[in-house]
Amino acid sequence: MFAFYEECSNKHLIRALPPPPPPSIYAAYKHFAYNSLRFSVFIEIQMSCTHLWCVGALLLATAVAQTTPKDEHFHEELVVRPLSGDHVNTYFQFTTRWHYGQKENLYHTQLTPRVIAELLQQFDVKELHIGLTQGLWRYETWGYPIVEATSGAEMWAWFKATNLTDQQVDKQWAQLANVFSGVLCASLNFVDNTNSIAPKHLLRPQFMPANRESFMRYASLPREIVCTENLTPWKKLLPCGSASGFASLLNSGYVHNTKYHSLGLKVRTLCQDHDEDNCILEMTQTANLVYDLRLLEQSGNDFSLRRLFGMGLNGYCELASTSKIYVQRNELGARYQLVPPPPAEETTTRGGYTVVYGVYDMQEQFQDQGERLFNIAWLAPKGELRRQRQKPAPPPIYAHRYLLGQGQEHGRIVTEVTNSHYAPLPILVQELIPWYVHAYLHTLNIRRRPLGRNEYGSERLPFKLLHYAPGKQRELPTHLEIGFLLPGQSSALITIDVDYLVLKWLEYPPDANHGHYINAALVASALPMGTNYSALPLEGHLFAHSFNATRPSYVLGLHTEALIVSLPTPDFSMPYNVICLACTVVALAFGPIHSVATKLIVVVRQTSAPRNFLKKLKEKLFSRGSPLLPTAGEADVPEGAGCLPPEEQDENENDNDEEEEKEREKEDKEDKEYAH
Amino acid sequence: MNEMFLKLVSIVCIFCICVGGGSAGNGDTSILPEGYVDATQRSTHTNNWAVLVDASRFWFNYRHVANVLSIYRSVKRLGIPDSQIILMIADDMACNARNPRPGQVYNNANQHINVYGDDVEVDYRGYEVTVENFVRLLTGRTQNGTARSKKLLSDAGSNVLIYLTGHGGDGFLKFQDSEEITSQELADGIQQMWEKKRYNELFFMVDTCQAASLYEKFSSPNVLAVASSLVGQDSLSHHVDPSIGVYMIDRYTYYALEFLEKVQPFSTRTIGEFLQVCPKRVCISTVGVRKDLYRRDPHKVPITDFFGAIRPTRVSTDRINVTLANESDFIADLEDIAVAKRKFTVIMEPQFPSEFFK
Repeated sequence: MFAFYEECSNKHLIRALPPPPPPSIYAAYKHFAYNSLRFSVFIEIQMSCTHLWCVGALLLATAVAQTTPKDEHFHEELVVRPLSGDHVNTYFQFTTRWHYGQKENLYHTQLTPRVIAELLQQFDVKELHIGLTQGLWRYETWGYPIVEATSGAEMWAWFKATNLTDQQVDKQWAQLANVFSGVLCASLNFVDNTNSIAPKHLLRPQFMPANRESFMRYASLPREIVCTENLTPWKKLLPCGSASGFASLLNSGYVHNTKYHSLGLKVRTLCQDHDEDNCILEMTQTANLVYDLRLLEQSGNDFSLRRLFGMGLNGYCELASTSKIYVQRNELGARYQLVPPPPAEETTTRGGYTVVYGVYDMQEQFQDQGERLFNIAWLAPKGELRRQRQKPAPPPIYAHRYLLGQGQEHGRIVTEVTNSHYAPLPILVQELIPWYVHAYLHTLNIRRRPLGRNEYGSERLPFKLLHYAPGKQRELPTHLEIGFLLPGQSSALITIDVDYLVLKWLEYPPDANHGHYINAALVASALPMGTNYSALPLEGHLFAHSFNATRPSYVLGLHTEALIVSLPTPDFSMPYNVICLACTVVALAFGPIHSVATKLIVVVRQTSAPRNFLKKLKEKLFSRGSPLLPTAGEADVPEGAGCLPPEEQDENENDNDEEEEKEREKEDKEDKEYAH
Repeated sequence: MNEMFLKLVSIVCIFCICVGGGSAGNGDTSILPEGYVDATQRSTHTNNWAVLVDASRFWFNYRHVANVLSIYRSVKRLGIPDSQIILMIADDMACNARNPRPGQVYNNANQHINVYGDDVEVDYRGYEVTVENFVRLLTGRTQNGTARSKKLLSDAGSNVLIYLTGHGGDGFLKFQDSEEITSQELADGIQQMWEKKRYNELFFMVDTCQAASLYEKFSSPNVLAVASSLVGQDSLSHHVDPSIGVYMIDRYTYYALEFLEKVQPFSTRTIGEFLQVCPKRVCISTVGVRKDLYRRDPHKVPITDFFGAIRPTRVSTDRINVTLANESDFIADLEDIAVAKRKFTVIMEPQFPSEFFK
C-alpha cells in the first residue's frame, strides 16, 4: 500500500490512494487522518520537490483512472475576453465537486485537497471565500468581472452547527484564518475580532441548507500584497498541481506582470434539507487576470496564449472531467481572427444580453496531437490603429470612493454610486470602518445628483435599510449597511464624517508613514437585465452554467477602492532626540552648578597684605601648610573654612596675590570679595 | 610561622595536583579510542530544518531580500522541502511596484539567477517578521492556532540552519527599523532550543554589519557560527543594478551563493570549505567563525549536513501482499454510502433583500 504525501503549508494532499482498503487498514487510515493536523508522516523521497509532483501526478492519474467514483469531478475552464483599452481578461476556473454523502467520507479525499475536507470537520464551516488580489478592477471600462474581489486579501465564511455560539464562532474564525495564513502563505493570521464583522444583509449564504442558526464573519486586509508565494500554494491545491492542465499556464513571471490579478478560493457545502448524510462539497479556485497588451512588448494588437502566459498549453489535466477554453467572439472579440479557429461555438442569451463564445475542448484537441503545445492566436485586422476604438458604454452600476478633509484629525469618507440605467435600482452598501477611525452615524447622509450635472444639490435620498454596529477602540470595527433606492441616470453620494485616533506608540506598524488603510466598501444591487453580467448563477458551479441562465434578477456585487489615511504619526526618533538634547543640557548645566554647589564662598578682607614683592614671597613660603591665612588676621573667616583642602586654599592665596597686584595698580583700598 | 609554612605547603600541593590532573587529562584525549573519535565526527542528524530571516523592510534594502532568497534557493535546491524551511521576509520586493521585473528577484545585475524562483513559499512576511515571532519560532512557543507551516517542528535529531540578514550593530540586529534582537536574546533562544532538544547541531549564519557580535554570547553546545564581519567592521554590499537603482546583494552572501551553486546533493564539499568563503580580498570585511562550541572538525562535515536534507528511501522491489480480510463487510459499507448519495435539487436563499425596497 503506497500513499504519497507531500506536506506543504499545513496541507496534506493525498497523491495516490489505493482502492478502498479493508476495514483494518481503513481504521488505521482514519486514525492517521484524525491526527494529521498535528502530526505528519512523510514517506520521504530522495528527489526534488517538482519531481515528486510529477511522480505524484502520474501515480494519481493511473490510480484514479481506475478508481474515481462517479461522484467526484474536477473541471478546468479558461475564459478569454478581450476588454476595451487593449486589455485582455483571462479567467481560470478549477472546480472540484464531490458528492461525498456522509461526513465520515471526508476522511478519504481524492481530488479535493485534504485541508479543505479537514476544514469542514474541524471548524463547522459551510461556506468559505478567500480572495487575494493585486490591482483594481476598472468597472467603467472593463465591465463586470466573472468573480468579484477587492484589492488585498478578503475572506468570509459561514459557520453552522447545532448549539454553536457567537463566542465559539469568534474563536473558530480566528483559527480558520490562521490555517489559511499557512495554506496560502498570506498574512491572514492578522484577521481577528478587531477587524471582522458579521454582515447582515449584503452577503447571503450560498450553501444549503441555510437557516437562522448560521453565523457569518467577514474581514479584509487591504494592505496585503499578492505575489508568487501565494500563487505557489494556491496551485498546489489543484489535483494536477501546476504540472499539467491549465494551471501550467500560471507562471509567476507572467501572472505578476498583469494590471490586475486575483486568486480566489471558494468552498461550499450543499446538503439535502437537514440531511447531513447526503452532501456535496464544491470547491472553486479562480484566477482572474487582466493583461495590458501594450505592456507585452509587441507591435500589433495580436496576442496569443503563448504571448500572455509565456508558453503554450501542454495538454489537459488527466484528472479533469472537462477541460475547455471559452473565447469571446462578439463585441470586442469580433474583430479578431482566431488561429486555430474554434471547433465549436456557443451563443448564450442571458437577460437579453447575447454573448458568443468559441469553445475549444482540450480533451479533443489532445486526442491525437501528441507532444505538441497548444496555442491560440488572436489576429487583429491589419492596419488597425490602437486609439481609434471608442470607449464602451458604462455598466449599469459602478462605484468609487474618496476621502475628503484635510489634516490628520478629521475626515469624511465618501462613496459615490452611479446608476446609468434608466430605471431606479436598489443599492446596498456595506462599510467596514477600522477601529482607528471613529465614524459618526449622525453625519451619514445620501445626496443625489442627476447624471449630467456636476454638483450635488441638497436633495437627500431616504434610507430603506440601515444596520449599524458601532465600533470600539482596539476591539471592534464599525459595521454599517445602508440600503436605498437610486433613481435612474443619477449618482448617489454617501458621506460619513470620521475622526482619526491617535494610536499608542507600539500600535504603529514599522512603516507608519505609509498610512493606514480603510477597507473597501461592498456595493450590491439586483439588476433587472443581464447586460455585461457574467457571474456564475448561484446553483451552478461551472462557467458554462452561466450560459442562457436567465433569471428574474441578477445580484451584482462590486467593490470600491480602499482608502489610505495618514493618522497622526509621531516622529519616532523624537524620544531619541529628546534624550540627546536633554543629556547635553544636563551635562552643560551640571559642571558649573556642581562647581558652585561644592565650593565655598570665602569672604576675605584684604587690608594688611604686604606690598613688597619679597615680603610677599617670604610670607607665602612660610605660610604654606597653615590652614588660615596669617595675613587675614582681621578677616571674617566663616566656620568650616578649614575643611577646604590645602590645595584649594593655596589657590585662594594665589588668587589673592593676583588680586592684590591689580589692587596695587589701581591704588584701590576697598574691601574685596572673591569666591570660587 | 609554622602555621604559615604548613599553609604554603598545602597550597603548593593543591596546585601541583591541579596541574598534574590537568596534564593527565590532556594526555588521555590523545589516546582516546579511534572509534570514539570517528563516531563523534560522524553526522548524527535525522532531518534538516532551515530558518531564514530577512529583517529589513523598504525598497532600499532589496539586497537583504536577495541575500535570504539566495540561501533559500540553495537549501531548497539541495533538498530541504518547503515544509521544513521557515522563510521570513519583512517586505515584498518581487511584486513591489518599483521592481521592473515583477515576480523576480535577482542576485546579479546580469540576471543570471532568479533567486525568487517560481515556487517560493514565504512563511512569515511583512508585519509578521518581528523579534517576538522569531524568538517564539526558535523556542517553539508559538501562539495557539499558529499554522503548521509557521512552526519550527524540529527535534533532537534536527540539524538546523539559521540565517539572519539585515542591519545590525555591535550586539544587535534591527528588525524592520522598529525593534532589535540582541545577541543575548539570541543566545538565550538557542540555549532554550538546546534544553528543549530542538536541535542536534546548529549552523548559525549571519550577514550584517558587526555580525560576529551576534554569536559572541552563545554558550550552547553543537553550535557552529559564521558571520560576514567582525566586531567593528561593516559588511558591504556587492554591486548596484542601475535598472532597479539599489544594491543587489551583499558581498558575503553573494560569494556564499556562488559557492553553494557549485554544490550538488551528493557533493563531498565540506562546511570547512564553506567557512573559507569570501576572503578579505573580495569581502573587504573579515569573515568571523566560531568553532569552540562545535565538537566536529568542520573539514570533515559535509556541507549537505546543513544545506541539504536527509531523505532516506528504501526501495522495495518485492511484491507486497495485502490480505483483503472481511472484504464483503466493507463492500456492504460502501453500498450503504451509495444509497445515501441521492441526487437533490439545489435551492438557494435569496441573495438580495428585495423586501426592504418594496
